[in-house]
Amino acid sequence: MKPLAPLSLTALMTISSSAFATQYLTVEQAQQSIFPDANHFAPLPLQLNVEQMKQVEKIAGLPARSVAWRTIAAYKDNALLGYMVLDDVIGKFELISYAVGLLPDATVKQVEILTYRESHGFEIRNANWRRQFVGKTANAGLMVGEGIANISGATLSCTHVTDGVRRIAAIAQVTLKK
Amino acid sequence: MKKNVLVLSLCTAMIAAAFTTPAHADEAALLQRIEKLAAELEAMKAELAANKQKTENVAKTQQQLSTTVAENTAAISTAAAKSDASASAVAMAQTGSVSGPQTVISSYGEINYTRPRQANNQAQTDVARAVIGLTHRFDEKTKMVAEFEWEHAVTSKDDQGESEVEQLYVEHEIREGLSAKAGLFLMPVGLLNSNHEPTAYYGVHRNFVETAIIPSTWREAGFGLTGTHDNGLTWDLGLTTGFDINKWDGTSTDGSQSPLGSIHQEGQLAKSRDLSMHAAVNWRGVPGLLVGASVFTGKAGHGTTDGVANDSRVTLWDMHARYNPGKLDLSALYTRGTMTGVTALNQTLVGQITPVPSSFYGWYVQSAYQVWKTDRYSLTPFVRYERFNTAQSYTDMPQGLGLTPAVDQKVSTFGANFRIGEGVVLKADYQKFQQDSSLDRYNLGVGYAF
Repeated sequence: MKPLAPLSLTALMTISSSAFATQYLTVEQAQQSIFPDANHFAPLPLQLNVEQMKQVEKIAGLPARSVAWRTIAAYKDNALLGYMVLDDVIGKFELISYAVGLLPDATVKQVEILTYRESHGFEIRNANWRRQFVGKTANAGLMVGEGIANISGATLSCTHVTDGVRRIAAIAQVTLKK
Repeated sequence: MKKNVLVLSLCTAMIAAAFTTPAHADEAALLQRIEKLAAELEAMKAELAANKQKTENVAKTQQQLSTTVAENTAAISTAAAKSDASASAVAMAQTGSVSGPQTVISSYGEINYTRPRQANNQAQTDVARAVIGLTHRFDEKTKMVAEFEWEHAVTSKDDQGESEVEQLYVEHEIREGLSAKAGLFLMPVGLLNSNHEPTAYYGVHRNFVETAIIPSTWREAGFGLTGTHDNGLTWDLGLTTGFDINKWDGTSTDGSQSPLGSIHQEGQLAKSRDLSMHAAVNWRGVPGLLVGASVFTGKAGHGTTDGVANDSRVTLWDMHARYNPGKLDLSALYTRGTMTGVTALNQTLVGQITPVPSSFYGWYVQSAYQVWKTDRYSLTPFVRYERFNTAQSYTDMPQGLGLTPAVDQKVSTFGANFRIGEGVVLKADYQKFQQDSSLDRYNLGVGYAF
């Protein structure tokens, strides 16, 4: 199992990085930052069926958008610490790559921004703004204006990233929650 | 593990059985039996090993399959993210890059209806502005931005519309947190100038302070440097074109509507002997809070032959704050501008209706609260109080030619923005002019931005 993990991880990294990415964090750095105690990461092929997608839409108030989600499970020895889900959204004009760290009970542990290239709204990378997501579930407090403060001049970037985190939290609640 | 136990117990049972067979089984037959059992044991071990290998291979294949699936679905989900997002990613010069579209077309527009409360024969509907924007990314560090605008629908010799290039610049990221731009770009002043789409402000018409005092949409041509820091601090520095005092027309009311608006150059054959500098600082360290200030200064005479205001200098500074933690959206701004070295110019304008002021200022406070929201619509009423003066003071003039400063204008605006989805807004408001109630008016507007 162990020698296979870096192989798939490299594949995941190749997807996330690209010729045009101003990468602030790589996938590996993100997972280390979210789960510093973990000594083993394994990709988790996460796929939603139609019933789950409907549930996600009900909880998040947004379409589930994709069937498959790039997920990595974090372990310390044999104990599951949590999950990290990778996703991309468009800010105003440019793609934002981010990662959502989740605990096994589907609450948000940490949000990391991997790439951000808009001319405005860099502040979504600040720890202060990202800290607003910690400890919340898709049920409450993960919406701009209701739990997540807006960044003046970057409303679209804030809204799209917040919606993305809420969607992922809903997916975790429906599929990953123990 | 289980198999070994099974084999072991099987062997034990067999050996036990062997010992309980009738006494006439001789040694040779016993040895043969043991060898047979040993051979069977070896065969079982080999089978076990083969099965283990098979399971590992299956697991490997499964991993590779799931990686391929992940790869494909990542590509699909990225494509879905692109189409799922706002329609800003309409045009793509090249597709394929997972990082996003290279060329993006954006647009915003607003159509306004205004009806003075006491003079419905002056009711007016206007396609206030239609704007097309273009962003093209050359590589991970370089992009260009353009914005083209049509004001008041029709532009021709006989019409009152205007078509203009509002922005046209290139931007390059020098290193993380530091970027430079060159071209025609927006001045980082106030709250509205850089964030002026109809979906970004409350009320049908842009507020007076940021049109009459800060001449939004204010752009200059030159160079700029922008830095961002992890603590939420953003700073801007720039060297650009500035104003041209020689454009001041004392016979027109333009100067009293907006002093700087009447002498801006906007990159149009702009006189550049005298360049201007600007600096701005904005802090967004606390979620929902923005606090900032800016200053812009430059001479405006451009060494005009026989000019009387070659030493004139225009300076404008502002302080602003916005607090938008949740449903509440509070804003406040104070700005003041000065024009020095204009005394001689004013002496040539004696008798005309609009002399050059020495100072002009304005401030406003605005409060908005989102009272209702579904996932598609939202309603946000707001109230704004503005106070501004486009001729707060004049330079000292010779006896008898004294100029009287204008009276502060006080305007209250009450209204609401109704958002439809992410990019469309319907607006309605009522504006009350304390100094001149004949200006009181109702406004309706529709706007969009993507």
